[in-house]
This record gives sequence, structure tokens and C-alpha cells, in this order.
Amino acid sequence: MFGLNKIIPVEPNINFLGLRRNFLIFSILAILISIVLLSIKGLNLGIDFKGGTLIEVSTKNTSIGELREILSSSYSDVSLQEFGNENIILIRLQNKSNQESIETVNSVKNLIQDKVVEFRRSEFVGPTISSELLFRGFQAVSFALIAILIYIWLRFEWQFGFGAVVALTHDVLFTLGLLSILNVEFSLATIAAILTIAGYSINDTVVIFDRVRENLRKYKKLELVDLFNLSVNNTLSRTIMTSLTTLLALVSLFIFGGEVIRPFALTMIIGVIIGTYSSVFIAVPTLLIFKFRPQDEDD
Amino acid sequence: MKNYPIWKSFTVVSLVLLGIIFAIPSIIYDENSENWFLKNKINLGLDLQGGSYLLLEVQLDVLYKEELDNFVDSVRLISRDQAVKIEKIDIQENEVVVFFGNKEKIKDIRDSFFQMYRGVTLQINNNKLSIKLNDEYRKIIQDSAIKQSLEIVRKRIDESGTKEPLIQRSGKKRILLQLPGVKDPERIKDLLGKTAKLTFHIVDNENTSALQNNLAPFGKIIVSDMYDENTKYLLDKRAVVGGENLVDAKGSFDQTEGHAVSFRFDTEGAQKFGKVTTNNIGKNLAVVLDGVVITAPRISSAITGGSGIITGNFNAQEASDLAVLLRAGALPAPLEIVEERSVGAGLGADSIAAGQIAAIIGMVLVCVFMILIYGTFGALANVSLIVNLFIIISLLGAIGATLTLPGIAGIVLTIGMAVDANVLIFERIKEESLKQTKVFQIVKNGFDRAMSTILDANITTLIAAVLLFAFGSGPIRGFSITLSLGVIASMFTALMLTNFLVYMYLSFANKKELRL
Repeated sequence: MFGLNKIIPVEPNINFLGLRRNFLIFSILAILISIVLLSIKGLNLGIDFKGGTLIEVSTKNTSIGELREILSSSYSDVSLQEFGNENIILIRLQNKSNQESIETVNSVKNLIQDKVVEFRRSEFVGPTISSELLFRGFQAVSFALIAILIYIWLRFEWQFGFGAVVALTHDVLFTLGLLSILNVEFSLATIAAILTIAGYSINDTVVIFDRVRENLRKYKKLELVDLFNLSVNNTLSRTIMTSLTTLLALVSLFIFGGEVIRPFALTMIIGVIIGTYSSVFIAVPTLLIFKFRPQDEDD
Repeated sequence: MKNYPIWKSFTVVSLVLLGIIFAIPSIIYDENSENWFLKNKINLGLDLQGGSYLLLEVQLDVLYKEELDNFVDSVRLISRDQAVKIEKIDIQENEVVVFFGNKEKIKDIRDSFFQMYRGVTLQINNNKLSIKLNDEYRKIIQDSAIKQSLEIVRKRIDESGTKEPLIQRSGKKRILLQLPGVKDPERIKDLLGKTAKLTFHIVDNENTSALQNNLAPFGKIIVSDMYDENTKYLLDKRAVVGGENLVDAKGSFDQTEGHAVSFRFDTEGAQKFGKVTTNNIGKNLAVVLDGVVITAPRISSAITGGSGIITGNFNAQEASDLAVLLRAGALPAPLEIVEERSVGAGLGADSIAAGQIAAIIGMVLVCVFMILIYGTFGALANVSLIVNLFIIISLLGAIGATLTLPGIAGIVLTIGMAVDANVLIFERIKEESLKQTKVFQIVKNGFDRAMSTILDANITTLIAAVLLFAFGSGPIRGFSITLSLGVIASMFTALMLTNFLVYMYLSFANKKELRL
């Protein structure tokens, strides 16, 4: 029963590129919807980027409703949420200034003291810090895209770099759009997830590009579309295998890794699926824009 | 073992052994071990062991404003000496503009002022002298304020009994604190939230109209009571002695006064205090802390011993905290908490347990999957995967890296991604096996052809991880560290260990054909 891979054909012959128009339309729609969503609905920014106070408590003999009642008499903008199980409750508050936060945490703690078994965590991010963190996150993602572009450019021809960055931008926007729809909290960990997705997606793309480059040298007479198809097929089982093992690990992290890490795991799962899709259906077809064959270039 | 160089086997085996041996300290994890070997364990981040992370900002604006006030006082003094009338003083955000009654002596005033404050920008325009706080001058104020603040914060934290705190400057005007194992962050925040500037002033009881009009004449200030805002005192602006002359302060208990803080002055402070109390018997002496009067007792006799007590409506904790603050000294400017992340030990332990379960289950799933797909070769890749995990752990321990919750996520993710290099190799071997029949040639070509792809693919992941380290903060850096180490270790295990294992297997099984 072992060695299932013997059943999978060594050289599958699926016409991926033939479907490119459908997928291109699908992706363009997805990106447009994502952009619209991001500008209208936006992301569910966590306190890292919005500022505010967050307190996680484990409770006894109480309900979320009772706690809400106690707190909402003193705070108008308090929101409570069960976190993993009904005894763990997350309390979020918007603060106006830094000074307020110290008093806020203290007075919230005093108000609910006798309902609480343990104050599991308290976080406060001031308004200056949250905007700095957002800026730095944005910077990190942009620099990563540029650095990856430069690396691909150095290792391959520039057309490959272009294809890779188109695919990457696609992945980032598509993922952000889905995060907006699913209302997943956007935090510092999400930025880390997005960067890792960029790394993962490019990894996938590079493996296929590597094969395209090799085949360009090997099959000088083959039509480009067929050559790209062949390259995708050559690397197909690897693409699927690696995505599956990565997803297995991520699903395990999503289910067992605890509540705090769950949004990160979910973002990564979405990103790995999109990244794998884009390597095959976006990055490779983009290369068709350029009518290149190394020997065709005059310079 | 056909053609497999001995040196290569030796290198692979010894690296693997080292990887396993150096993972031992982190796996045993004896927190207090002093053993030179067991000490090389992973440090747990604040989010895993519990503790507080605080980012404080020094309120430099307060200092700049104070300095402008000093300018005003000095100009008033100088012009009084020179007998020049001041018509108007205009205090702006960054400069003080003084309008004089006549312009004859304005140059002299400027020169004497410059003697006192070298470095400020002074400009004369007709009867107008503008004194500007320029960038260099501000920078001097800023640097000394941060340096002093760091020192005071360190003293206060030490006094609070926190073990192994990390206190460092962060950027231009911030101080970063990491306090492992702190159970009551609110108390620490209270300790840091006070400037603790203590001064003693003589109270002016005669000029009652000033208090009524709420207008302090030159050289006096109006200060409210700590417990009752409506009770005001008119005080001499100049402090007779201040907290910088204290050598000791302790919480104490007195039958009649309740909880109090007893203090002792140094020689200079004791002399000043003795002189003032001798000359002002019958007047009141106000004890001012951070701009409010704690108490203002009547001086009934000269106090020359250089020690005394401060009474107020303190409880035991307040008295002892005030003593801590006085011992540590005053901050040059208030500190504002701009970011706080505190995690209780309970959540930290839960996170570790959840992370371990996720890692183990992820590992089992990936291993089963690899065996299902690749059979024996999959099992060999699994050996590499497990060794890979050991190597990550030992590298983390060896470089003294900090493991955070996102760091654990990075390890779990690496488990999924680390088999990639093996998959690339196996797929190449599969292709090569269609082209020829010589088993060892197939394997050699498979590894050789996969090599450049593996490098390209992993370097791009490393680029993302390095940028994440450069721009990320705290826990997120933990993620980029484990991800980077995981990627590097996976390249080693795939290209060397899997290679070694495949050769060993093929030699011992004496395979004549290879069908992967």
C-alpha cells in the first residue's frame, strides 16, 4: 500500500495553459473584489494597528452577558468576546490617550475582580505606536516584494521577475480580500503570515520557473505554450506534495495551536492555497506576454 | 556503500549527533541549571513564560517647556540687575520673546544671558530679544534626559524585586522594558508612572490676596494639596532642598502619625535643611511631590540632624512605594506608557502545551503522508525531518535565541515546508529513473539536478524571513528566527542527510532497480 506516488503518472499531461483565460478572468475579478472590499469594508484591525486595550480573563460562575453589563455601565465602547471556550473572555476597549490606558486596565480589573480566576493577558497599544507598527508592516511587505524581485531578476531573466511579482501581488491582495470577507483579525502576526506567504508562493513559482528555464534550453523548437505546459506538468507532483504537507502542518496548527495563533494559521492556509494556485495559473501565463526565448534576444 | 566518501559520512553523522546532543538542554529544560552544558537552552519569550513588556516614552516636551520657563526667570533676574523694564514676555512653542522698555542695555542683557546658557540662539531686533531653543540644545536636553531616565528606571525596577529585567533605550526618546515573570504589572506601571520629584518649600502665609486671586507674584508659586484640590498653598518658587540630596528613605510606622516615610539627607542637604529650619521657625514647610503638596507642617524647632519623616494619609504599600521612588530618585521628565503587553504564566503555559501538540500532530501527519506517497524513501525523508527539528532546537539553544509563540508557529510551519527539498529530490529521481537503469547514477543525477532549484526556492523564503526580522518587533522576530533556521536546517538535512540515508539504503538493500 505504500508508495502511492507510483499511481501518479510521472509525466501528467494536463493542459493548464489552455485554461489560462478562465483563470485570468477569475483572478482579475477576485482582485477587483478584494480592492473594493479593502477600500469599503477594510480589514478587521486588531489593537496592534488600531490602538486600544485588550484584556483576556478566565472567569468563574459568570457569563459574558453579566460581565458586559458590569463593564458597559462604565465604558461605552467596550466589546467582549468568548475566546476558545466560554470561560475565557476577551475584553477590548478603545482608549483616547496613553495616560487613560493605565487607569483603564486598573479600573476594569477592579470592576470584575471577583468574577475572574486569572488575568491571562493585558495589552495596550498607544495611538503613536499603532500607526508606527502599521507603517513598518507596510514597509516590510513592500521591501520583501522588491528584494524578491531583485533576486529573481539576478537569477533569471527580468521577465521571470515580472511574472513572479505579478503573482505575489495577486497573492497578497487576494489574501487580504479574503481576510476582509472572513473578518479575520489583522495583527502583527498577520503581517508575518503575509510575508511568509510571499516567501512560500515565490518558492513555488521559482521551482516552476527553474523548470521553464531548463526546458527553454532543452527544447528549442517547442511552442512556448506547450513548453510552459510541459514545465508545469513536470513539477506538478512536487507542487501538490509540498502544498499538502505544508497544509497538513498548518491545519494542525489551526486546530491544536491555541486561540492566539489561530488567525495566523488561517491566514497562512488561505495564502498557501492562493500561492500554489497563482504559481501555476498566474505566474506562468504571465510569461506568455513576453515572446522570449533566450536565443531570440539580440543582446 | 558504493563510492560514498568516508569523510562525507563522517561529516553527516557527526553533524546529526551534534544536532541531537545540543537539543538535549532545551528538551530537559532545567530552568535554574548552572551546568555549563544544560545552560545552553532555549530562552522562552515573555509570551510563553509570562511577564510584561513595556515601552515608555520620555515626555521631552515637558522638559523643553521647563527650560523655556528657566529662560524667563533668568531674563527677569538679569534685567532687574541691569534696571531695565520688561514690557512683555511672549512664550512660544520653541522660543521666548522678551520686549524691553528700552533698547540701550539689550546687548548687555543678551551677553549675560549667553554666559548662563551657552548654545541657545539669541537674536536682537530693536527692543526685542528672542531666545530660541535650537536643535542642538534640544538634543543635549534629550540625551541627558534619556540617560538619566534609564538609570532611574533601572533603580526603580531593581527595587521592585523583578528578576532579570531587560531595560534599554529604544529609538530617540523611548525606553523598552522586558520584565519576565512579573505578576502585578499594574504596580510596576504605578512605580514608573510617577516622576517622584520631591522638593521642600517655605510656605508664604502672609500674602493672602495672591491666593484669593489665584495669581502668584514673581518668585512664588501656587500649589494644590494632594488630597484636596481646593486647598492651595502659596510657596516660595525656590526649593530649599530637594530629593537629589536624599541618601535614604524607608516606609515607617508611627503610633500617632500612622504610615509615613522616613528619610535622611546627605551632608549638603542636612546643612541646607538645618539652616532653613533654624531661620524659619514658626513658618510652614511644604513637602511637594510631583507638583502637589503632600503635607505642610509647621516648623516648631530647628532640625539639624538631617533626617525627618513625611506623613500623609498613606497605607503601608503607598508609604513603601514612595520610599522606593525617593531612594531611586526623580525622573527628569514624566514617562508615558505607549505600549504594554503582559502575559500571565497560565496563558504562557497553555500556549506552550498547545504549540507542542500542534507540532507533534503536524509532524505525525506529514510523516504518515510521506510514507504513504514515497514508501521507504518517505521514511528516510522522515528521519531527516525529525533530525531537522532537533537541529532547529539545538541552534536556537546555542545562539541563545528567544522562543516566542509565533516562533513555535514558525517551527510547525517548517515541519510542513522542510520536506519540500526532499520532495524536489525524489521527484527528480523519479524522472531520472525513466531515463536510465543504473541505480546510483539515477540517485546522483536526482540530487544534482534538484540542487539549484532547492537553493533558489529556499533563498527567496530566507529573504522574506530576514526582512521580517529587520522590520518586525518582539514575538514576530521569534517567528523569523525559527523560520530562517528551519529553512537552513532543511537544506542541510535534505542535501546531506537524506542523500546519505538513500545511499546507505540502496547499498544495504542491494537494489538493482529503482522505481520510486
